[in-house]
Amino acid sequence: MKKFYSNKPAIILFAVPALFVFTVFVFYPIVQVFNKSFYDWNGLGTGTFIGFENYTKLFKDTVFKISNKNALIFAGTITIFQMTLASTFALVLSNQRVKGREFLRIAYFIPVVLSVTVVCQLWLAIFNSDSGLLNTIFQRLGINYRQNWLSNRYYAIYAISFVNAWQWMGYQFALLMAGIKSIPNDYYEAAKIDGASTFLAHMKVTIPLLKETYKICLTISLTGGVKAFTEMFIMTKGGPGNSTYTLTYLMYKAAFREFRYGYGMASASILVIQCLIIILVINWLFRDREGRDAKWGRIKEKAN
Amino acid sequence: MKRVTALLLIFVLCLSMFAACSKKPSQETKTPDTGKQTNQDKEPAKDKEPAGDSTEDVATDEEITLSIYAQYADDDTKVPYDYAVEELKKAYPNVTLKLEVQAQDDGQKLMTYAATGNLPDIYQVALAQIENFKQSGNIMVLNDIAKATGFEDKVFDSAKNILYNEDGNIYAFPYAGNEYVVWYYNKAIFEKYNVEVPKTFDQLLEAIQIFRDNDIIPMSIFGAEGWITAAMYDVIATRWDAGGIAKLDDGKGSASEDAYLNAAKMMNTLVKAGLFQSSASSTNYDQAAQLFLNGESAMFINGQWFITDAAATLGDDVDWMYYPSYDEASYEAGKAVWSGGGAAAGYAVNPDSQHAELAAEVAAFISEKYCEAKVKYRGTPLVALDVDVQPEMEFPAMMQKLQADIPNQTSITKFAWHLTNAIFKTAIEDQTKYLLVEDYSPEEFITEINNALAQ
Amino acid sequence: MGQNKRKSKLVNKSVSLDSGNSFFGRLWKIIFRLFCWLYAVISLYPVIWLIFYSFKNNSEIFVTNPFGFPTTLRWENYAKAWSQYDVPTYFMNSLIVSGVTVALTIVLALLFSYATARMRWRGRNVAKIYLSLGMFIPVQAILIPVAKLINGIGFDSTRAGLITIYTAINLSFASLVYYGFLKELPVELEEAACIDGANIFTSFFRIIVPLVKPATATLIIYTFLNAWNEFNLANVLVVEEELKTLPLGLLFLQGIFTTDWGAMGATMVIASLPTIIIYIIFSKHVENAMTIGGAIKG
Repeated sequence: MKKFYSNKPAIILFAVPALFVFTVFVFYPIVQVFNKSFYDWNGLGTGTFIGFENYTKLFKDTVFKISNKNALIFAGTITIFQMTLASTFALVLSNQRVKGREFLRIAYFIPVVLSVTVVCQLWLAIFNSDSGLLNTIFQRLGINYRQNWLSNRYYAIYAISFVNAWQWMGYQFALLMAGIKSIPNDYYEAAKIDGASTFLAHMKVTIPLLKETYKICLTISLTGGVKAFTEMFIMTKGGPGNSTYTLTYLMYKAAFREFRYGYGMASASILVIQCLIIILVINWLFRDREGRDAKWGRIKEKAN
Repeated sequence: MKRVTALLLIFVLCLSMFAACSKKPSQETKTPDTGKQTNQDKEPAKDKEPAGDSTEDVATDEEITLSIYAQYADDDTKVPYDYAVEELKKAYPNVTLKLEVQAQDDGQKLMTYAATGNLPDIYQVALAQIENFKQSGNIMVLNDIAKATGFEDKVFDSAKNILYNEDGNIYAFPYAGNEYVVWYYNKAIFEKYNVEVPKTFDQLLEAIQIFRDNDIIPMSIFGAEGWITAAMYDVIATRWDAGGIAKLDDGKGSASEDAYLNAAKMMNTLVKAGLFQSSASSTNYDQAAQLFLNGESAMFINGQWFITDAAATLGDDVDWMYYPSYDEASYEAGKAVWSGGGAAAGYAVNPDSQHAELAAEVAAFISEKYCEAKVKYRGTPLVALDVDVQPEMEFPAMMQKLQADIPNQTSITKFAWHLTNAIFKTAIEDQTKYLLVEDYSPEEFITEINNALAQ
Repeated sequence: MGQNKRKSKLVNKSVSLDSGNSFFGRLWKIIFRLFCWLYAVISLYPVIWLIFYSFKNNSEIFVTNPFGFPTTLRWENYAKAWSQYDVPTYFMNSLIVSGVTVALTIVLALLFSYATARMRWRGRNVAKIYLSLGMFIPVQAILIPVAKLINGIGFDSTRAGLITIYTAINLSFASLVYYGFLKELPVELEEAACIDGANIFTSFFRIIVPLVKPATATLIIYTFLNAWNEFNLANVLVVEEELKTLPLGLLFLQGIFTTDWGAMGATMVIASLPTIIIYIIFSKHVENAMTIGGAIKG
């Protein structure tokens, strides 16, 4: 078996094409980003090398602090929202007997199919505090509660995170559905024989076996949160003021609005490093080497 | 085995598609491609000087296509462009323009074009970007062309400031003249609730209270755009210091001065009193404009170019007022002090263009035609050039009133997009947006502005 | 193995959140069902909203009637969108660019993930993390370097330029998903094939490719949508009118100040309705493909 998996020509044939395309078109530009982060440069012509000056400035920048705080909030919100709802829906809909299953499955995925622009425009209208749906609903319900959802310096970031979480929940849902589909049926049959209730069967079988899928979901949510941009760009332009800035937005502002390209690239570099740390931590958290079958054996043992 | 062949087939298919689609268009665009190539080769050799052989191009009648990067999305940009193209056909029958529509992307596209050496022959450019392009040699000096074509002579004396760059050169042919931040109000609403046009901020606060009591938004503002909040702040700041934000931009003042702190405090007071609609900081242009046009808000702040639309929808019900001030005396004195202005921006030319000189001539020609079209069809006499055309319709009353007022003006500031200090520009746009939030303190605002000025 | 047998097995797998038959159990169940359906309605609402939106004018959209049925059906919004730019050409370009991007991404990512998740060689973990770097970089940061690169290799003003960069960017995500799925697959299947004397290529195509179908299905949709809706790179890389993709159509409707939002809505309907319809039609097939893929080994 070892021999089977260490087929050199196959490794080269399989791994090199992707590595090549990636190195040329993504990695090389990323190197440029890091390189330019050491320059005082306006994006055109040649800049002057200034060492770590961009970074020292960046660490003192109030917007940098706000951006990091927002990244945490954004990543946290979307992770909790998406993981909870996507798991619940996926587990429920994996039951073939649920009424309207087909319809629900399509419905949950629809926001993913729409472009971000459409989704943001919709939520802008909903959040609007004068004519928006949300405040109108509160009013109809007789609750005297009006909120400037996107104009509040402390809460706007939550509102924006929610929009992102809401739009992309459907994708994690689809991933989990696909994950559940690929779990061999024997596992459940065994659980059934053991007399586990369905809910317990999920807790003990499905969720542990979906470890890799959850790892993917977590990676998507966390890195997505850290590099969030489009929602801010369309809905608040980083505002009110700079209260909904993220590192990507800071990079964009510096590079294209202030012509401090080098400074922007320093911000982008930090972003890449943060994401890299996140992915390493996730890998470490999910590190156990036991395969699915070993895991299954353990589950069975406990059941007995 | 079936699957293997199927997968291989797909792979081959997409590879061939890949090849096919990369081949076809490159054949179609072979000529411009080679053109770019030579440009790139020439790049280091020439700097800002038009290519020597371009004069020959002008002389011959050969068909020439010039690429142009311009705004082309609404009547305000389409009408002048279409008119200019029609006129160009008559004057330069051998020149065709290939339009590329400008994206609302904070200049990302233009910047990328400059970085890759793909700048169009003629492009619309804002002042901050001119500063950037000057350093990298992506913009042509148009002094000689401006003289040769007579463009320089046609510029109104009052608009000379928008022709020359700070360094004395001409980098772009302007078409818009000095423009103004106008404080619009709905006369009908004011009359209905018996509200006098406010002269002081105290009167304004009283008016806000009355409108609020009657469920009318006192003033709608498109706070999603930083330039209008900056303009609003500028309007208030100029009541104390005529320099407004332009003075800070020129590095002649500090935000710690009383005028700027007073203005921030006043803006905060007005926001707290409920001057603006509650979602102000995420409201876009059209949304805010519709609130005013539908009679939901009593006042509106925007550039003078809105006069045409406002008059068309609200007719005689709409008018503009002088900016209120802290007391009556300063109100009267402040009538001559306006927010707004112009900048040396407009149509610029790529010095590496194959037909740089011709492109420059065409750019001057187009800018002139833009001015004609604006006077003729867009109801505005506020253009850069003294053009000899008659407007198709009479200017709206508000415009006539504004025009009559211009000779009395003693000072004008800048729109946010005309600021030259890009860092300050970004800060004033973001921070004045922040002032729309009740709990953002004026002191925080001043600190942030000073930080930006210190950069 | 018959189709019926497969189905009967799947029923066994089905699990519901039954919490006994007590009153509270049932109440909880009803509330939960209600929530599921309510959420579905909220998810579908944007489509209806967008269609209404596309028939309104600025005044209705922003002030008088932001959520209801349009007072008059303004077909002129569609006429305007249609007349601004060459919709069929843009549409075809989007289709070609997205289609080829999907094919390339899927092939490259699956091959790569197989090599990192299953095969044994030094540096496979580093290679995996290296490739995931692409997920972290915001596209605005690499806009200029990418544009320079695409120009440098003569891919500017070609569809190939867009396709290559889209593929490269989507590779990271697709590889991550494939890697996760491959990690979960039991090794025995391949062991059996190995003992039967199959080499790694036949085993890959015969066993692995069908087994990862559920992942492939979700990735096809995701990559396609990504390429279909991409604006930033297309805006900078495509100059030629005959090569532009659908999202660029919005440029013709967004002015410096004012935007024709109704016509923009129409443009967005033109761009997204086909993807929604295709998704709904094919989701049944995708579902079936997933089911079979999952059951093969059962």
